[in-house]
Amino acid sequence: MRIFFATDIHGSEVCWRKFLNAGAFHKADVLVMGGDMTGKAMVPIVARDGGWRLSLQDQEHVLSTEDELKAMEKRILDRGYYPIRLSPDEVAAWEADPSLVDARFKAEMMANVERWMALADDRLKGTGRRCVVSPANDDIFELDPIIDAAELVDLGEGNTIELDGFTMVSTGWANTTPWNTFRELPDEKLRPKIDELVATVADKHRAIFNFHAPPYGSNLDSAPQLNADMTYVAGGRALVPVGSHAVRDAIADYGPVLSLHGHIHEGRGAVKIGRTLAVNPGSSYEDGVLQAAIVDLDSKKGEVKHYLLING
Amino acid sequence: MTAGEMAKAPTLFLRNATGLVKGWSGFDAFGYSFLSVNLVTLGMFYSLAVFAFVPDGSVLSALLLSGVAMTFLCITYAGLIAVMPRAGGDYVWQTRILDGIPGAVVGALVGGLTVYLAAQAFGLDSTLTLVGGALGVVAGGLLGLKRGGIGFVLSTTGWWFILALWAPIYGYILNIEFLQPLAAVSGWADGLAFFSSQTGTFVVSLITIVLASGLVALGMAGYARIQRWSIYIGLAALAVIFVLMAVSSQDSFKAAFDREGQALFGVTGAYQATIDNATTNDGFVAGGSPLDFGLGGGTWLLLPFMMFWILYPNWGATLYGEVRGAGDFRKVLNGMLGGLWVTVILAIVFVLLAAKTFGWDFFNATNVNFVDWAYGYVTVAPAIPIWGYPPLLAAFLVDSHVFQIIVVLVFGVWFLGWAGTLWLSSTRMIFAAAFDRVLPEWAARVSERRGVPWTALILIMIPGVIVSYLYSFQAGFSKLTLDASLVIAVTFFGTAIAATILPWWKRDLYEKSPIVRYNVGGLPLISIAGAITTIFLGFVLYEWLTNALYGIGTGNTESIKFLAVLYGIAALVYVVARLYRRSQGIDLDAIHAEIPAE
Repeated sequence: MRIFFATDIHGSEVCWRKFLNAGAFHKADVLVMGGDMTGKAMVPIVARDGGWRLSLQDQEHVLSTEDELKAMEKRILDRGYYPIRLSPDEVAAWEADPSLVDARFKAEMMANVERWMALADDRLKGTGRRCVVSPANDDIFELDPIIDAAELVDLGEGNTIELDGFTMVSTGWANTTPWNTFRELPDEKLRPKIDELVATVADKHRAIFNFHAPPYGSNLDSAPQLNADMTYVAGGRALVPVGSHAVRDAIADYGPVLSLHGHIHEGRGAVKIGRTLAVNPGSSYEDGVLQAAIVDLDSKKGEVKHYLLING
Repeated sequence: MTAGEMAKAPTLFLRNATGLVKGWSGFDAFGYSFLSVNLVTLGMFYSLAVFAFVPDGSVLSALLLSGVAMTFLCITYAGLIAVMPRAGGDYVWQTRILDGIPGAVVGALVGGLTVYLAAQAFGLDSTLTLVGGALGVVAGGLLGLKRGGIGFVLSTTGWWFILALWAPIYGYILNIEFLQPLAAVSGWADGLAFFSSQTGTFVVSLITIVLASGLVALGMAGYARIQRWSIYIGLAALAVIFVLMAVSSQDSFKAAFDREGQALFGVTGAYQATIDNATTNDGFVAGGSPLDFGLGGGTWLLLPFMMFWILYPNWGATLYGEVRGAGDFRKVLNGMLGGLWVTVILAIVFVLLAAKTFGWDFFNATNVNFVDWAYGYVTVAPAIPIWGYPPLLAAFLVDSHVFQIIVVLVFGVWFLGWAGTLWLSSTRMIFAAAFDRVLPEWAARVSERRGVPWTALILIMIPGVIVSYLYSFQAGFSKLTLDASLVIAVTFFGTAIAATILPWWKRDLYEKSPIVRYNVGGLPLISIAGAITTIFLGFVLYEWLTNALYGIGTGNTESIKFLAVLYGIAALVYVVARLYRRSQGIDLDAIHAEIPAE
């Protein structure tokens, strides 16, 4: 069985489309999206003087036709941001009332994932290919029922999924971060959650962990150290482990065959923890590059045959 | 809403999400760049001590031209960082961009040249040399055709293998700028004799290896603080020395040097003895002035010497973060350019002060006198047995050995802040290659407790120890010193080509990047900067390889063999990795194959 695992695409349209096509391209049997699917930013496109104005990556753009506008919206979506058409008055209102921004963010995230699920159903139809999507700490809870409703996509979060002799358990909950995002728990509370999930797996050595947070101190969790004011220490060159002790201990205790992680975009790599292969393909979604891990599993022996980290 | 209000309107609405940071301090970018083109450790000995070898070269012109050339290198690298801000730097950029025809051309160039020159160095006849060169072209071309091959060879040699040669070079700097001056001034004759010996050179290299590895193990978080304080203290110390030089006359320096020459080394009239020794033994010709300004041939010949020191303002090229904009390009570029140009300006001030206070003839004579002897070009010992380390020379102006010791000790921060850069980037490059399955996965292992990359460190330390031994004990090996810059320049050369073709060869990647707005005359800025950097580095490489002045080109067969072995091993590792992975059912081509979106 070949698993294609990608994660942390943060709203990038082109990365999601590549993900859906990766099954055919890399002859994968199962597609797994590890979470953090939603974008972090909205780009206001402001109507003005019969045209549209916006700023992207510090560059001002003035658009005069609908075709130009659509091309720009595609470019923004591919980068993982949400293009938002606004009037000058709406911009002023958003600035005055942050709750309007929050509401629009939620609407955009939900609409986008809804559209992505429809696209998944369309592209996976008739392929016989499995697809597991598990929201993670940056994703709002309202996404879970949207994913669950998709015909050909399995919701990973909290579920036990059988895959050709292996059992996948997933959670997008992570240990705490400085950003206080949606699905965070301190390690001492995360561990019981993991234990509860793993309890549903009959053969722990045939388990596949799909846990968003990487194991602590595994090099899959090396992230730039931050100062108290949220600036980088040493220009981003000072890396520190920020992963989860609970995830690390669970891997050591249960010894699953494979453990899939994301969360730390800079933590691309693969390591062995005991008998377990743990991978974090990292993410460079803003470039439109889909970083992923391809893992071949031997269903008879219940072990990893080989793996490859790719830049697709 | 008015136009003014529009300009103030938000350009991005952000929500609270992991990884969003406020950015990073411009001082950090400046600091890493500033320490990488280290005026004291690299500049004073390796570049500003060679003017006597090119007497018709204009010092001021060479310094300014070097700064201008490296400005384009900075633009090239800042551009690539903005397009692909990824750990691994040159490795990632080259493996992502150099494929197909461009990759094959670069591969053929490197392969053909390496095999051709190696065949000559091994004494093969002209026919076999030509056949070898042709085979090198074919092999290199095939290696470059697939994405990943030539990128691996160029970055492995430039960011890993050649760092083994840098270990004894760092050690030698620690020796002549710190240990030998301290031993001399404190009157520890046995210590001076030991540090000046082959065994002493080797032991100091080992100390350096342990220090550099220890700093990597310590982690950049701790080391960043050391670097920051090193800059503050180092600049303050430099200011003190500059003031001392500015307010002192040449006569007072001559008297001070003669006094210390007698007291420390028993040399009478050491100032004139140094000039006489250089004139007699080193072919030194007095005359000239650093104020001579010109663009004649000699000036251009100084540039490859300057590169040993000033080639690395981009050394900390790998930064991280999200939601980047063109502002980050400017910040990275400003940091690099700040480090570069502050260093160039300080170098100009230093040279002018050295000419004023030490005397231009003495300054050049004492350098050529020591360098020729240290590298085995002459067998007659210099007038005084240690290098005329400029901070120490300036400290001689104060008749106090305690003060002189303090000056040497404090200037040690220029080494301390710099030593950690030796292997930090190498570990990242090894990680990147291991994750691409070209190197075994154990190469990327880190310790569970502290996250120390012991395996990668060992992979760097072992060749470092071997090369340090050769450097210390094998006659003539230290003459390969400039190879340390040549191999890195070849890596930068490959990256500059990648940057030049990026807007056309990887159009999607470029057009999505924040630097797409930067054009000059309708051409992408990164291409212009990349092309100029390519041409400049091509010139420097040509000079290094063909001009006997630099001691590492075709006239030095040991150097060519050394280079051929480096590139040969890198190519071999890649080919073996491909074959081995294929036997495991792993297709390395899949690493970079782009998945269609539609």
